[in-house]
Amino acid sequence: MARMKFLCDIERCIDCKGCVVACKEGNGVPVGINRRRVITINQGKPGEKSVSIACMHCSDAPCIAVCPVNAIYQRDDGIVLVNKDVCIGCGYCFIACPFGVPQFPKGDTFGKRGVMDKCTFCAGGPAPNFSEKERRLYGQNRIAEGKVPLCAAMCSTKALLAGDGDVISRIFQERVARRGSGTKAPGWSTAY
Amino acid sequence: MAGVANTWGYGAMTNSMNDIRHSKLVFMLGSNAAEAHPVALQHILYAKEVNNAPIIVVDPRFTKLAAKATDYVRIRPGTDTAFVMGLVNEIVSNGWHDKDFIQKRVAGFPEMVEVAKHYTPEVVEDITGIPASEVKRIARLLAIHRPGTVVWCMGATQHSIGSSNTRALCILQLVLGNMGVSGGGTNIFRGHDNVQGATDMCVLSHSLPAYYGIKDGSWKHWCRVWDVDYEWMKSRFHSKEYMNKKGFTLARWYQGVIQEDKISQYTPIKAVVFWGCASNSQSQYHKLKKALDKLDLVVIIDPFPTMTAAACEKDNVYLLPSSSQYESEGSVTSSSRQFQWRFKVVDPVHDSKEDYWIMDQMVKRFGFHDKFYKNIKKIPDDITRELCKGSLTIGYNGALPERIKKHTLHWETFDVDTLQAKGGPCDGEYYGLPWPCWTETHPGTPILYDISKPVAKGGLPFRARFGTEHTYWNGRKENLLAAPGVYNPGSEVKGGYPEFKDIVPGTNWKTDLSQKTIKVAISKGMAPFGNARARCVCWNFPDQVPVHREPIHSPRPDLIAKYPTYPDKKDHYRVYTKFKSEQKPELVKKFPYVLITGRMVEHMGGGAETRSNKYLAELAPHMYAEISTRLANNLGIRDGEMMWIESPEQGKVKVMAKVTDRVDDKTIFMPYHFGGMFMGQDLSGNYPDGCRPYAIGEPANIVTNYGYDIITQIQGTKEGLCKVEKA
Repeated sequence: MARMKFLCDIERCIDCKGCVVACKEGNGVPVGINRRRVITINQGKPGEKSVSIACMHCSDAPCIAVCPVNAIYQRDDGIVLVNKDVCIGCGYCFIACPFGVPQFPKGDTFGKRGVMDKCTFCAGGPAPNFSEKERRLYGQNRIAEGKVPLCAAMCSTKALLAGDGDVISRIFQERVARRGSGTKAPGWSTAY
Repeated sequence: MAGVANTWGYGAMTNSMNDIRHSKLVFMLGSNAAEAHPVALQHILYAKEVNNAPIIVVDPRFTKLAAKATDYVRIRPGTDTAFVMGLVNEIVSNGWHDKDFIQKRVAGFPEMVEVAKHYTPEVVEDITGIPASEVKRIARLLAIHRPGTVVWCMGATQHSIGSSNTRALCILQLVLGNMGVSGGGTNIFRGHDNVQGATDMCVLSHSLPAYYGIKDGSWKHWCRVWDVDYEWMKSRFHSKEYMNKKGFTLARWYQGVIQEDKISQYTPIKAVVFWGCASNSQSQYHKLKKALDKLDLVVIIDPFPTMTAAACEKDNVYLLPSSSQYESEGSVTSSSRQFQWRFKVVDPVHDSKEDYWIMDQMVKRFGFHDKFYKNIKKIPDDITRELCKGSLTIGYNGALPERIKKHTLHWETFDVDTLQAKGGPCDGEYYGLPWPCWTETHPGTPILYDISKPVAKGGLPFRARFGTEHTYWNGRKENLLAAPGVYNPGSEVKGGYPEFKDIVPGTNWKTDLSQKTIKVAISKGMAPFGNARARCVCWNFPDQVPVHREPIHSPRPDLIAKYPTYPDKKDHYRVYTKFKSEQKPELVKKFPYVLITGRMVEHMGGGAETRSNKYLAELAPHMYAEISTRLANNLGIRDGEMMWIESPEQGKVKVMAKVTDRVDDKTIFMPYHFGGMFMGQDLSGNYPDGCRPYAIGEPANIVTNYGYDIITQIQGTKEGLCKVEKA
């Protein structure tokens, strides 16, 4: 079975945030909730690099391990989803996640957190496929439609790859093999 | 674009975005494509990865594009010509120029070299701040990696010598022999998906559509196309003189109202219509606002209330809500000269109306409805049909609406590398029929001036536009037609030839509406516009060869003395325009920092649309100015604090400091997309209820300086001075 993965090629990501806006607009994510964001390091200096980050859909996901009510689960294709009918908004997953992925709506009285929201790999949620409820709670279900997630579909430089892990890692490997050869290979200018 | 058109015939991107995939080098000057043209980066990064092409980025600012460059060159704003002519000099003096190409297809080369000699690497270092060793190294890279492409945007053009900058870049490509080949060319990225289309339709004051100029002959040509009487058209104008006189430009129209500089028109301007135009993208905005408050009538036609709407404080404004691109239909022309059909997705929402409807209502009320729609029965197809029929100069005539739609609907059959369809209903044609598309069966011209293909299959020589012979200032006479042996395959004439005329007596290829002249030329395997040399010397320009001239407001008094600007120009698009009298060497003492502006990826143009989008406003909610760490520390300003920036024209803005080393210690950068604030004052109350954009801020253009190009009058927003203090 295919194992779904994201891969962001930092040599290609230009911090245009097309992925962020596509995700929010397409899934109706409220302002203040970020299923995906672009992180830039060394801004304005040589060595500036950007990377687009969302839920990594971990193989052995820490969020699943700590969830006290088993609201988070993993599909056979590796996509990690949350059942919003079950989630109690305790925030354990937020502490456990190494990438700061889980998001909680703010603003309720007594600091109460709403239920957790995160990247669904555009695979909707546990509600029936294409149902009104799925759309409202989780957004689009593009995987069920046979499409890649919106963020990767929108990527202007094809930096963000999404899909079957074997396929996207092959695409990435081919790219890397082509880079840094010829006149840009290390030592070229001194050796010839 | 004037500089480019005056070099080889057409003022447009010569190759295409996709063709950059074949480049062995990409030289980008005054472009931040990573933010302004993100999708183009796909092709640029492909060249970098697959061809090992050096990506050279020349910019005063370490932009997001620079972050993707292999070679970043920091240049002092307004000194591009000096740098590029320095590269030309270095290339020629090392003998790296393409001698065969120059001998056969270029005019005025020795005269140009004579001028370029002044720009030795050391002189270039003094003017531009780029080390002499870097000038040499970049020149060597350009010489080794051929064909390379040259890309520029507003960073090259928005200067008092903008038209010299563009010509210098064209000369660089001619010297390297990079013209008319795949992977080469001058790829000028336009700012929207239809800017090339807007330029082609000459939404400008100095020409009728398709660059016909504004003379009797041009009016007569278009009157024939529109099927209206020339005498009737003439009767609509104040006088014959004004019918043929260049109008005000976008950059300076407001002087026609406030008249700080003397105008040469019989009346001040009394009304203005903004149709999809953001006034906060014009420099010295505080003066433009004065004009808005003085006009009898301001009409704003836009899907969103713009900064103009908020800035008008007199009760003289009418807002007509028009539709977005998704709520309307029609043809557009992209940066790469490609036509595309925009299909309608939804009917206009809320109260908005299609532009066609608004135009129709206006024309009815003006009382010339019958004349306006003579050839137009079906909107928008017949509009495209009519404009294509008349635009023979740029070969729009082969782009019928049916063909454009077929291409857009079958885009997947075109090859991403060559843009040519492989099979399918458009087999052999190039995507979007890049103009010139000479006949109804012509495949389009993917690369301009490419003599390796027959004209009927998308090839072309350089255009014969500047006569057949010229005598230079040194007495040398040169034949301006291409040398013998330079011709497209299948050409009847095996060398240079002038443009086609008198096939239908009294007409030429541009005015023969039967299109017989064009068809005859194509059947002979020849270009309707002739086969000539590209010019290094433009004798109709004040600087025949591009030379450095200091910006109007320069931080280098010593260089003002050495490289002064032009004398003032009295009637420059109907308004007195100061050059020499505005260039004051002492200005830098009070205004010590250089001010540049540019784009950010989250917002677009004047920002009315993008700042009204909650997600984009969330990503970029604040107006800011970039200031270097050292300068911020010297002025006692911390990141996120507010500061005042003031221009020599008494414009001032209160903006947030973004402390970053993207800019150097002498430069301040601001994005120009904001509006809704004015010199510290919040204009939120001036928007109609519920229409205030989510993000508002000071328009950067309040502090952009005086200074305009000598040819085009484009505003010099990338080279002003300012002062900064903590708010």
